[in-house]
Amino acid sequence: MKVLHDIPVHKIFTIKNTDKELLEKWLYLMTVGRIIDEKAPNYLKQAIGWSYHAPYAGHDGIQLAIGQVFNREYDHLFPYYRDMLTNISAGLTAEEIILNGISKAADVTSGGRHMSNHIGKPEWNIHNVSSATGNHTLHAVGVARAIKYYKGKGVAISSQGESSVSEGYVYEAINGASTEELPVIFVFQDNGYGISVPKKDQTANRKVANNFIGFKNLRVIHCNGKDVFDSMNAMTEAKNWSLENQQPCILQANCIRIHSHSNSDRHDLYRNEAELGYVLESDPLLKFKRMLTRYERLTKDEIHAIEERAKEEVKLAHRSAMASPDPDPATIYDFIIPDSYPASKYPEGLHDFVGEKKKLIEGINETLKAEFRLNPDTFIWGQDIANKEKGGIFNVSKGLQQEFGPARVFNGPIAEDFITGTANGMSRYDKKIRIVVEGAEFADYFWPAMEQYVEMTHEYWRTNGKFSPNVTIRLASGGYIGGGLYHSQTTEGTLATFPGIRIVYPSFADDAAGLLRTSLRSEGPTLFLEPKALYNSPAAATPIPDDFEIPFGKARIRREGTDLSLITYGNTTHLSLKAAERLARDGYNIEVMDIRSLIPLDKEAILGSVKKTGRVLVVHEDKVFGGFGGELAGIISEEAFEYLDAPVRRVGSAFTPVGFNRILEAAILINEEKIYAAALDLLKY
Amino acid sequence: MGKIGLFYSFKSKKTAKIAGIIHNAFSGIDVQLVNVDEVHKEHFLEFDQMIFGVPTWFDGELPNYWDELLPALEEVDFTHKKIAVFGLGDQKGYAENFCDAIGIMATFFEDKGALIVGSVPLEGYNFERSKAVKDGQFRGLPLDQENQARLTHKRIEHWVELLTKEFS
Repeated sequence: MKVLHDIPVHKIFTIKNTDKELLEKWLYLMTVGRIIDEKAPNYLKQAIGWSYHAPYAGHDGIQLAIGQVFNREYDHLFPYYRDMLTNISAGLTAEEIILNGISKAADVTSGGRHMSNHIGKPEWNIHNVSSATGNHTLHAVGVARAIKYYKGKGVAISSQGESSVSEGYVYEAINGASTEELPVIFVFQDNGYGISVPKKDQTANRKVANNFIGFKNLRVIHCNGKDVFDSMNAMTEAKNWSLENQQPCILQANCIRIHSHSNSDRHDLYRNEAELGYVLESDPLLKFKRMLTRYERLTKDEIHAIEERAKEEVKLAHRSAMASPDPDPATIYDFIIPDSYPASKYPEGLHDFVGEKKKLIEGINETLKAEFRLNPDTFIWGQDIANKEKGGIFNVSKGLQQEFGPARVFNGPIAEDFITGTANGMSRYDKKIRIVVEGAEFADYFWPAMEQYVEMTHEYWRTNGKFSPNVTIRLASGGYIGGGLYHSQTTEGTLATFPGIRIVYPSFADDAAGLLRTSLRSEGPTLFLEPKALYNSPAAATPIPDDFEIPFGKARIRREGTDLSLITYGNTTHLSLKAAERLARDGYNIEVMDIRSLIPLDKEAILGSVKKTGRVLVVHEDKVFGGFGGELAGIISEEAFEYLDAPVRRVGSAFTPVGFNRILEAAILINEEKIYAAALDLLKY
Repeated sequence: MGKIGLFYSFKSKKTAKIAGIIHNAFSGIDVQLVNVDEVHKEHFLEFDQMIFGVPTWFDGELPNYWDELLPALEEVDFTHKKIAVFGLGDQKGYAENFCDAIGIMATFFEDKGALIVGSVPLEGYNFERSKAVKDGQFRGLPLDQENQARLTHKRIEHWVELLTKEFS
């Protein structure tokens, strides 16, 4: 087997052969960066801002190199919070850096919304990344998948500190890049510490990149991140190699951290004087300047002139940034989620189509196929999703791979975070892309992907409206299948607590089809919860118009009534309808409203029903305690109290996990009988 | 045997101390001490036998004073020159890069035509990887003052004996 790690790095840049103009440019960028790096803590001392600053001094060589090698036209760059010089080297101005540092409205990264030092410029493909450090490795892999699919000319470059490689998602990302052979470079900037934690406490290898030398299709390169030329050569080699071979590369750069981790850290508490001394002696900027004069590439006067020019730029940038306006508090609700597809053909999300009934599973499957035929930039992946005649654990995606091919329909590894995170990443390549993921085999296996779920909800707001992942996360949800733990639970109670994502939970085939079509045509993320117990249920089967689409936030009254409103969704829509039938036999006229969409919520319809009946029972499959019904009950109590003739009540499952034995499952999950009893109580109140 | 140049940084502490011991071990032989911090390429041309002192910094790097000097020697022809390298390292704390600097220096000067002498066996050391190792031997003398200081004098004594023969 070819040992990729032993291939020597081409020495293109040396102190002797590099053009003088280029050397001057590098020195200028490094000097601008260092001035700001050293000036940043003063803003905090003066209570102006920049309360988080992670100084980069000691990483100068590799950060200069990343920025120089990055091509904003073709590449995608994911810098981490210490990558200030990377950003400057990639083209950001001193003013843009300071605007980010002091969180002004004109901050190109986020308009002051994201933490300082998290610098990016999304319009240049320099992505605004999370504080959950290293999780952008998944995004880099995702966008690299798109680069490869669309035959782009660039690479994805992910940058992070060596300690954050300990995160499991980094291993998932590198495993995926290796499996799919993607043009992505993972740069590990190794300064020996994760805040105060020495790297020996992170992993057994001193050079964490060596943990990956057994991964196939992956080249590992080491360089001296303190040295401009070694870094430039290594970074150039990594990019050329990834481009030519369409395979991933890890570049580990040995750096030093000259200062503390950040302004909330004191490194003198854990580093001795000898260490503090030798890191100062190894200052990469001083070394570069020594080399320039030693080899007579620049005179001391020329260096001085560059330094003065850099000081002047920073001075002017400071003045301008200080005069720049702060963000307007009235804008906090801007850019939570992009406007969705209007679905104007069926403005109320209702139809009167008469035809052959289709099962819920058919509704989803056929809508996926129709949208994939319509839009060539649609993709779907997930666990167990496409192998010959099998299409997903429940066969929802059956036939998709055969029709649309393995580049658009494919299996993911058993790694939910990877599945979700790479969807976020891939959608960055082009706004036209629409991605569907089966986030997990069963909804309750989705928890490992929570950090990427949270990430997805943050993107649009955090980037001040510059990016939102166009992703539909499908999850087979709920119980009543004798599945036990991890196969029976509903998750929306937790997942609805994050602003920045739409959540729908249909209970009939037509609604599933219509909401899925709208999801696939909308910008931004949608969580599409599927009641798996209803996939093949005759009760959930309906006629479905071919072009059915449903606007988000439109509830549907499934049974008109006047005595009591059952507000529900998902599996319990059907249980509620049965309970309503039984109550009808008792002489009560019950309204059953399927909210269909949890976020946005059709408050108007809910309150309208309450005003009509004066009595409300909120019904859902999830646990009563902590379930989404708490929000529904709260809204009704706050906004329709004067219309109520009885207290708002909730019924749902017991506050326990869902047991495997059918007897236990039945005792735990909500059923028709419990709904009937609670409704009767309310009616008699 | 012609005069020998012993190159190391006079500013260094441990390496300078070791250089002093090596210097003393060459009793009766003309070994001139050369400060790498102030050296020019011409100094290298004055000697046919040279010993370089080079500790390994960080995870397998040359110290600045050597690293910044090497580009000046890129075009120098070291053919017919014999070069020996000693270096300090920590085989326990930096087992993956034990005395890498010896290997980096040996490779650099070998590429410039020099004959690398003073190779020593691996016995007695316990480490994982080292760029100093080639063909089952160290390409110079590794010394570990952190973990095997007691062996240093004996190792130097044997090495100087070896060099005395190989420089002849």
